[in-house]
Amino acid sequence: MITVTNLKKRFGENIVLNGVDLHVNRGDVLAIIGPSGSGKSTLLRCLNLLEMPDEGIIEIGDTKVDVTKMSRKETHLLRQETAMVFQNYNLFKNKTALQNVTESLIVAKKMDKQEAERIGKELLIKVGLEDKFHQYPATLSGGQQQRVGIARALAVNPHAILFDEPTSALDPEWVSEVLQVIKNIAQQKTTMIIVTHEMKFAEEVANRVIFMADGNIVEENEPKEIFHNPKNPRTKQFLKTLERDE
Amino acid sequence: MEFKLDFGYLVEIIPELLSFIPLTLFLAVISMIFAIIGGLILALIIRSNIPVLKQLATIYISFFRAIPTLVQLFLIYYGLPQIFPAFTAMTAITAAIVGLSLKQAAFLAEIFRAALNSVDKGQVEACLSVGMTRAQAFRRIVLPQATRNAIPATSNVFIGLIKETSLAFTLGVVELFAQGKILAASSLKFFETYLALALLYWFLIIIFTLIQQTLEKRMEKPYIS
Repeated sequence: MITVTNLKKRFGENIVLNGVDLHVNRGDVLAIIGPSGSGKSTLLRCLNLLEMPDEGIIEIGDTKVDVTKMSRKETHLLRQETAMVFQNYNLFKNKTALQNVTESLIVAKKMDKQEAERIGKELLIKVGLEDKFHQYPATLSGGQQQRVGIARALAVNPHAILFDEPTSALDPEWVSEVLQVIKNIAQQKTTMIIVTHEMKFAEEVANRVIFMADGNIVEENEPKEIFHNPKNPRTKQFLKTLERDE
Repeated sequence: MEFKLDFGYLVEIIPELLSFIPLTLFLAVISMIFAIIGGLILALIIRSNIPVLKQLATIYISFFRAIPTLVQLFLIYYGLPQIFPAFTAMTAITAAIVGLSLKQAAFLAEIFRAALNSVDKGQVEACLSVGMTRAQAFRRIVLPQATRNAIPATSNVFIGLIKETSLAFTLGVVELFAQGKILAASSLKFFETYLALALLYWFLIIIFTLIQQTLEKRMEKPYIS
């Protein structure tokens, strides 16, 4: 489903991904945790090539690319295999909630407008925004914006949805409604990779968890094992720090 | 000598002057259209970082921002035909449009560049993440948002342009200002004539400002919380 081999990325002198290997099965919900600067967001953003990796092979769905010799067309094809939910929502500011969801269907998939709107409305209802179809992002709360962002990602019917810290920018009052929507989607066997700082949520929603540090995957296991019986000293230390903060 | 304002004369010449407004607007609007196209191309070249082209665009902008409009119009209309005889056939109106477009393109390039840069990078990332191409992202998301950012400054350029069309008289085009000059010379009522002209330009700008405000209001709609 998703196979990543020897993925490398550096920003100048700083090595952010140090030859990462990753495999995700269809229907998996994979949570990526780790301290800031460990490379988890970069890993996610390399999967849809918002960051260009320096080296590595990425295979998602039907598309397999070697990033060192990738054509424009391949870049585009690989991006179409996934959709992303951003930390800052990144909703199209000049479009209504419904238009945000239908934009890719009409523009990229050349679907006719009526069909796109039918799907768009269905998805907005699914994320609990049946009364916000025609509102612009500026008039929505953070939680509502992020739910539109999730509907927009679902619309392209991707092989996998990439969540880049989906609740980090939210006011605390909106976090639970967004997490609930993500949980609902997870139950429908959508393949998801979630970079998150919400450990409780990761434990509840994921069937696998990866702990990253310094550009490497340090430990990978079931949530129960990672959170309650971590093997690697780095993982132990990280989880201990979190407990102290709470 | 005591001066008495001949108000009757002022009112009397206004209809005649009004008939020259279409030409003034024609010069301004056509120049603006070319300037917008040119300015957008220049802004895109500068953002694209294509070597050589980018340097050429930078030199273009620097040159046309620096020279007085009058020098530029004379250079095009009287100067160019000396080197390229083909330009002898160019009419004064064409020369005025070419000159004004070239100049305002340079100013608009800077405005458009800033407006494009002010669109959040995340907007393009969001487009790419749902499978749109960069071209689609530009056309559907970036350009509309940049347009909204660019409208106030672009309107100022257009207002400047309406006024600068009066320089076309120096090339022999009989437009609004030239006609005013002709009337003043025959009646010797300089104050009334030029006051009438001033009022007409003012009137034009007021009308345009109203249009601009309506446009801005409409474009602001999505961004009001």
